[in-house]
Amino acid sequence: MKRRANVFIVCSPSARVGVSTTARLLTDYYLLTNTEPAGYDTDPHEPRYAPYFPDRVRVLDVSDIRGQIVLFDGLLADDNRPKIVDVWHRSFPRFFETVQDIGFIEEALRRDVEPVVLYHADGGRASLEGAWALHEHWPELTMMIVHNEGASPLEPEEIEIFHRYPAQGRFVIAPLPAPVVRALSDTTLSLSEFLRSPPVDMSIVVRAAIKAWIAPIFAQFQSFELRRQLESSNYL
Amino acid sequence: MKPSVILVGADKGGVGKTTIARAVLDYLNSNNIVARGFDTEFPRGTLNRFHPEQTSVVDLTSTSDQMRILDTLNTAQVKVTVIDVRAGGLSLALQALEDTGFLDAVHAGEFNFLIFHVLGSSIASLDEIEEIAPFVEDAHYFLVKNHVNDTTFFEWDPLTHTKYFEKVMTSGEMTIPKLNEMSYEQVEIAGVPFSTFVADRTAEGEPAGQSFVLRGYVRTWLNRIADEFDRVQLLGLVAPRDAKAGKAGKER
Repeated sequence: MKRRANVFIVCSPSARVGVSTTARLLTDYYLLTNTEPAGYDTDPHEPRYAPYFPDRVRVLDVSDIRGQIVLFDGLLADDNRPKIVDVWHRSFPRFFETVQDIGFIEEALRRDVEPVVLYHADGGRASLEGAWALHEHWPELTMMIVHNEGASPLEPEEIEIFHRYPAQGRFVIAPLPAPVVRALSDTTLSLSEFLRSPPVDMSIVVRAAIKAWIAPIFAQFQSFELRRQLESSNYL
Repeated sequence: MKPSVILVGADKGGVGKTTIARAVLDYLNSNNIVARGFDTEFPRGTLNRFHPEQTSVVDLTSTSDQMRILDTLNTAQVKVTVIDVRAGGLSLALQALEDTGFLDAVHAGEFNFLIFHVLGSSIASLDEIEEIAPFVEDAHYFLVKNHVNDTTFFEWDPLTHTKYFEKVMTSGEMTIPKLNEMSYEQVEIAGVPFSTFVADRTAEGEPAGQSFVLRGYVRTWLNRIADEFDRVQLLGLVAPRDAKAGKAGKER
């Protein structure tokens, strides 16, 4: 069975749709499974992903060529580590312009590195158009949509919009009560460590809520991984 | 196949003549057209540094070097010759080619002659066109707008166009996009052809370990230049498959 290294491009052209939360969750998912992910935070001004993983997430500016070298050369490094990029919404156009200019997708596929776009969908027209623009440019690119129900809530009848995205599947991240959100915003709180041994000084209610919140998200990540492994199997 | 000479030059310095000459050699090599280069930046040659195996440094005003280039056009196995004219030497080079009878031979149909006149972003470049006009009648004369930096290129407004182009017949214009400084510098340091840099090889053919990002930028830039050369049918001019292909239409 041929294993392909994954590069997760966690992105959206819109602000405040939960991109950094997904990058954080994915990083903790891999840490929990004893895999060593490498992360990149493309918001050089107010990074929201890197503070949770100061030792494994690099902050860079994609409008600067030195930042591009750190990012894209790092994504192609043959180290068998999953890579996670938190694409800040203001970096979104420049990020994909650079991807196009340097032929990143083509080179990645050539090297058995599989870029996976985790596209954070919302109810806006720009979001849908952005997804289609990516799909039309790179039809071979794997795209999953992510709906963070807490960050971009939609009415039940609006959920239909997700069927119009050119995506292979959807991850859903459930909303959380405000006190739990506050607890999660603590940058010293590692979700993977939390699942291994929940802090005793944390409210039992909050602990239960976090566990209940994380479990279905990690189950989705695991299902995705298993599906990818099955798809790349030579024996099926 | 009729021998072809491609002269790359300008009378103004710093407009990227050698960069264009390097791109031409890369383009011909990638299309399996074997070419030889002559670098007139005597005694040290920049083109020669990047393409040492196919380039010689010559002094275009020296009779022996003129013989070395022109007397071998018919006899050499390699039928395409690229001459990178040193800064400020385009008019002198053309005068030398006229004095040696080369331009008469071109007029008689013995050789294809292409001139890539590399223009800078100032109006001074346009003044050169008038000086060169008397020599280009039988040549495929291309104006090359090379965006070597971020300065805005002069606009080809109708008045300017009329003033400078009424006496000269061109085969067209080419626009060379800008390559970012860091990528350009890294190729300079590597001292290899652009295509070798893109392939991540050293001059000796070993893996070079260059940044993928920088190689990606160079590849895209080189592809855009190749698109320009394709657009003006450069291959058809230097290696025509039939008689018609060699006669690219000229525009006034």
